[in-house]
Amino acid sequence: MVIIGIPTFGNKGLSEVMNDRFGRCSSFTFVTIENDEIVEVKTVANDAQGAMGGAGIQAAQIIGNNGATEVIVGHLGPNAMNSLSALNLKIYQSQGGSLTVKELIDLHLSGKLQVLTASNVGAHAGMGGGRGAGMGGGGGRGRQ
Amino acid sequence: MVKPKIICVTGGKGGTGKTLVAVNLAIMFKNRGYKVLLIDGDVENPNTFLLLNAKLKNKSEVLYFLPKIIEDKCNKCGLCAENCGTHALLYIKDSYPIPISTVCSGCKLCYKICPTNAIEPDLKVIGWTYTASAFNIDLFLGELKPSEARSAVIVNKLMENLEEVIKTEPEKYDIVILDTAPGAHCDVEELINGADFVIPVTEPTRFGKLDLLRIIELINLLKKEYKAIVNRSSLLGYKEKFLKELEEKGVEVLGDIPLDEEIVSSYCQGIPLMEETSKFDRDGAGYKSFQQIFENLMEWGEFSK
Repeated sequence: MVIIGIPTFGNKGLSEVMNDRFGRCSSFTFVTIENDEIVEVKTVANDAQGAMGGAGIQAAQIIGNNGATEVIVGHLGPNAMNSLSALNLKIYQSQGGSLTVKELIDLHLSGKLQVLTASNVGAHAGMGGGRGAGMGGGGGRGRQ
Repeated sequence: MVKPKIICVTGGKGGTGKTLVAVNLAIMFKNRGYKVLLIDGDVENPNTFLLLNAKLKNKSEVLYFLPKIIEDKCNKCGLCAENCGTHALLYIKDSYPIPISTVCSGCKLCYKICPTNAIEPDLKVIGWTYTASAFNIDLFLGELKPSEARSAVIVNKLMENLEEVIKTEPEKYDIVILDTAPGAHCDVEELINGADFVIPVTEPTRFGKLDLLRIIELINLLKKEYKAIVNRSSLLGYKEKFLKELEEKGVEVLGDIPLDEEIVSSYCQGIPLMEETSKFDRDGAGYKSFQQIFENLMEWGEFSK
């Protein structure tokens, strides 16, 4: 069994769109997978969204406390990267664009997502602004 | 017991001549027979010793607290992480908290509140302090380790060292000159806060004016007396207009320093312009401007000797 955490905007489950921001996304959608089948989907609000600082660390705490062992992210700052690595989580880089949770899980199950080993934005990159205040297209380069 | 008078040279903008002014004020006080200590508080780029051609001595480490979790004692309660203001402890239920050193402020709260004493100080070196002497002036200098962020901690250490000297040898110095980093951040604030007189150094450009007004905001917040020095005042002929603008803003000016080749020459040689044994032209524009500034300062500070 694997639980995958994905930063999202709301609570529409598998049809929810992924949020490029990690520490300051509004919710996390957790998808439990057994034998390549989705067996459970749940949404948890991100209390760290408006934190003054350390949002990445607190968000990583939410990921850990919900038993996730893998995450799929867009942008990931250095504190979030350090925290997720400290928890020995496997970090996958999304392919960009407005993909839904379901689409991401399908890509992941077919082995199309790359592992992320270093943060791909600076600290506090996701602060301020509302939805879509991220860093433009692209994102980081994953390495195997 | 008379405490030394403390003068802080600052300025907001980088490269306005803060260190040039600080060093030459120190030299002029020394020429008059004062016992002078100069403190270089620009710990990210400490270079005052170059202007004085001094050799650094007494390197001493500045240590900083980081929490270290002793797993044998930790009961995984999460109290430390819950109370950490900067969220520098990552806690997942039923597991040991993980310190995230990059965001730790070093406040030691976790260490103090841990109910099972499972947190011990794990000290790391974030910089160094040095001392030096040249031209009969003593120098305290701090250096922040590259990649570290807490410059105010190093500056704080320099000021602690000063307090210690004042406590143990109150007569050792008559005048202390503090040279700050550019900007209006907490390391600069620490030095301004410790001063009796503040001298922001600026230049007659739009950049100089903007940054001067910012540092004056900080000086006013700290309720300190200040007078500005306009360096490179002959630059592009803007001097009169600039001085008028400052006057309109209510900024008092201690004096101005024109562009002068001898200043550049002294800067490159590491011999302060105002040093009494130097061979610089006593009638030079730069030399005379410093003399005038010094007389104005003596009057402002009611220094006697």
